[in-house]
Amino acid sequence: MIFLEFRALSTLPERVEEPPQEEPKEVPQRRGPKSTNPILEHRHIYPEFLPDPNPKWRNSLREKMERADMLKRRQQIDIPEFYVGSILAVTIADPHAQGKTNKFVGICIERKGCGLRAEFTLRNVVDHQGLEVRYDLYDPTIDKIQVLRLEKRLDDKLFYLRDALPEYSTFPLDMDPEILPEGTPVPVNPLKVKLKPKPWLERWERQELKGIANIEQYLTTTNRLNRKLRQTPWEKFDLMKQYRKTIPMEEQSDIWSEVNNQLQQLQMARKKMARKRTFTAPKTQLG
Amino acid sequence: MSTNNLKLLCTKFNNLKINYVITRTASNWKPPKYRPPYWYMPKERVLTEDNLTQDNRMFIKEIIQDKLQAQAAMESPLENISQTETMQWTPGKKRVGLIARKIGNYPMWDKDGKKVLTTLLQVIDNHVIKYIPPENFKPMIHKVKQPQEHRRLGCMLVGAENIDPSTVTKDYCGLFNSVGMLPKRHLCRFMVSPEAALPTGTPLYATHFRVGDHIDVRAKTIDRGFQGVMKRWGFKGMPASHGVTKTHRRPGNIGAGGEKARVWPGTKMPGNMGNRWRITRGVKILRINTKHNIIWTLGVAIPGETGAMCYLFDTVLPLKKHKTSPPFPTQPPLDNLPLEYYDDSIHEFESPTISFEEI
Amino acid sequence: MFKSLITKLCPSQLTCGFHTTACLNEVRLLTRLRVVDNSEIGMRAMAEGKPPKIICVYNKKRVGFIGDRVMVAIKGQKKKGILVGLKQIQNVKVPKFDSNNIVLIDDNGTPLGTRIHVPIPTILRTILKERTHAKGADYTKLLAIATRFV
Repeated sequence: MIFLEFRALSTLPERVEEPPQEEPKEVPQRRGPKSTNPILEHRHIYPEFLPDPNPKWRNSLREKMERADMLKRRQQIDIPEFYVGSILAVTIADPHAQGKTNKFVGICIERKGCGLRAEFTLRNVVDHQGLEVRYDLYDPTIDKIQVLRLEKRLDDKLFYLRDALPEYSTFPLDMDPEILPEGTPVPVNPLKVKLKPKPWLERWERQELKGIANIEQYLTTTNRLNRKLRQTPWEKFDLMKQYRKTIPMEEQSDIWSEVNNQLQQLQMARKKMARKRTFTAPKTQLG
Repeated sequence: MSTNNLKLLCTKFNNLKINYVITRTASNWKPPKYRPPYWYMPKERVLTEDNLTQDNRMFIKEIIQDKLQAQAAMESPLENISQTETMQWTPGKKRVGLIARKIGNYPMWDKDGKKVLTTLLQVIDNHVIKYIPPENFKPMIHKVKQPQEHRRLGCMLVGAENIDPSTVTKDYCGLFNSVGMLPKRHLCRFMVSPEAALPTGTPLYATHFRVGDHIDVRAKTIDRGFQGVMKRWGFKGMPASHGVTKTHRRPGNIGAGGEKARVWPGTKMPGNMGNRWRITRGVKILRINTKHNIIWTLGVAIPGETGAMCYLFDTVLPLKKHKTSPPFPTQPPLDNLPLEYYDDSIHEFESPTISFEEI
Repeated sequence: MFKSLITKLCPSQLTCGFHTTACLNEVRLLTRLRVVDNSEIGMRAMAEGKPPKIICVYNKKRVGFIGDRVMVAIKGQKKKGILVGLKQIQNVKVPKFDSNNIVLIDDNGTPLGTRIHVPIPTILRTILKERTHAKGADYTKLLAIATRFV
């Protein structure tokens, strides 16, 4: 299981680390692998900086140009740290209504793509109507990306919210941002959603999802049998599959050391802005 | 006397080698016909164990390094020729092209906020190796004497990507030695007007083309191997059920009976798919990087996979030809070029966020 | 009648054996839609649990996309409508809805209702403006009765 600790993610979605309270005895043993290169931790915050691991599409110069372009765009707007399960507000310039902007609030249910192709999907229920909007992360028409609530969920893709009760994906459009104190780790929301009865869009019972509370009550014996037949418990031991889906540590450290400087500067600028905001926020409320 | 003869015979026998290797190929597949041009020198060399010491290897490496530095320091012959001496561009004239490597695709956005996919082409170490004027250029060697033909265009050889001279044959190196260069991995022939001829050893850069120009790209398509008719020609196949057996992906009928009871030439059949030379015409250039010599082109229709070589030249499409004079015969190396050129329609990543103003 | 027979024969708890991947969710002939305006006929059809069915899509592909005009059978009548929200996977920045929504119009493009009670994609502003002819139907009246754009 050591390789899981070293696992370097790229296209694989962010997987939530297990909360440390469950196994406090193992903490001293864990210290070894965790005290590796600190810049490798960027892979959780900026997963799109890692290239697609498919060797057919790799080229070092193209990846370098792509990263440079991404950093140039990041100089223009502040793309904050967010995860699947965070609640975002995205403001875009609207070409269909000249001179206006369009703001959408929702929970991030998916994050995918490498480089400039990076995308994320927001979901919300507005006027009892479920809505999903997909955005390009580096789209120049995006005016502002604001994180309203920074948190993770138990799963790495939240497509099951489409089949869940609507209150689990309802967020008010005029939600206020919740500011986490500096230095706190990103909280994991242990919320378990309740599904609507069948028919469903996908066979959620086969996907080993942790964030669903009441799936067992809708399953028949046939469903349970099929679930057992289609389980692939050996896949987590498939080293080759892991290797093909990830970027090796050495290449990652090269990539991160190349962009680390500028990312640090951007992070500093963001922190400064956050401090200013904490001072000014009460004033606006008073006024 | 006889012992001498015997010894000679023995040495001769010792020198004899049996170099007969059976190569097995599919009987019905023939490689595409290829007739090398007369300036072509065989490049592949049989690699043997040279038994060199470590010092000698280092020495060879040093020499290659020295040559590389000398090549880099060599100033472009264009600098000596003043601008007034060079010819002026007129619409009929044909310029030289470039050899580039396809290094991938990524999206860019235009000024209306629309996403466009681009292909990146890198121009690596392009140098003019040889120029053959039209009167000397006779590509076809005929057995029967031909009536004298009048040629308009000369032949220009361009090489790309330096390689280690010890990996190629001596003949191939000789092509480049006469110009004072290390051998190149890729060599290509471009037909140019005599006015656009360049002196040998001229380096070519990505700025040979301008942003907003249209180019033609010639490259080999992806080799897909032996494929059936559904993949190769887009046939529909046959139904999966309704009593159909054993013919779900087969072509079906390949000809009629009667007078035409044979297979007509050109019938679409299974076979080797891809690995053919194809030209994509009228590709627009959106952005040029002068430091790494990268050209961004619109669309993903450049043939070949990532890392494939392709040949770029001015388009022949009548509506997309040059309207104004391009760098003629080519762009001389300048120090004060801007790092990047962008097309007018493309949103630069450095520029601020797009907002749609009220009209 | 058929539906009730099928549900009797195979209870809804049993999954269907044919369909294994996410479907395309295309709007085509005989698709059931959701009326989202407050026209009387639409409100009654939705309240009775008999949502309208498509009987014609007015484009070459015969698959409805956003902003397309369709003819529906609703409560025994033929009515025209405009698709204002689709379940299908959409382009970037165009919202994907959880149901296929329709707004009923008459032949001149005037909506039958007076209010739309769900959000409307803002891309419809451009699409409907393009489809409107100077002398023919005017579809932009639909935009005037929308309450919210996303």
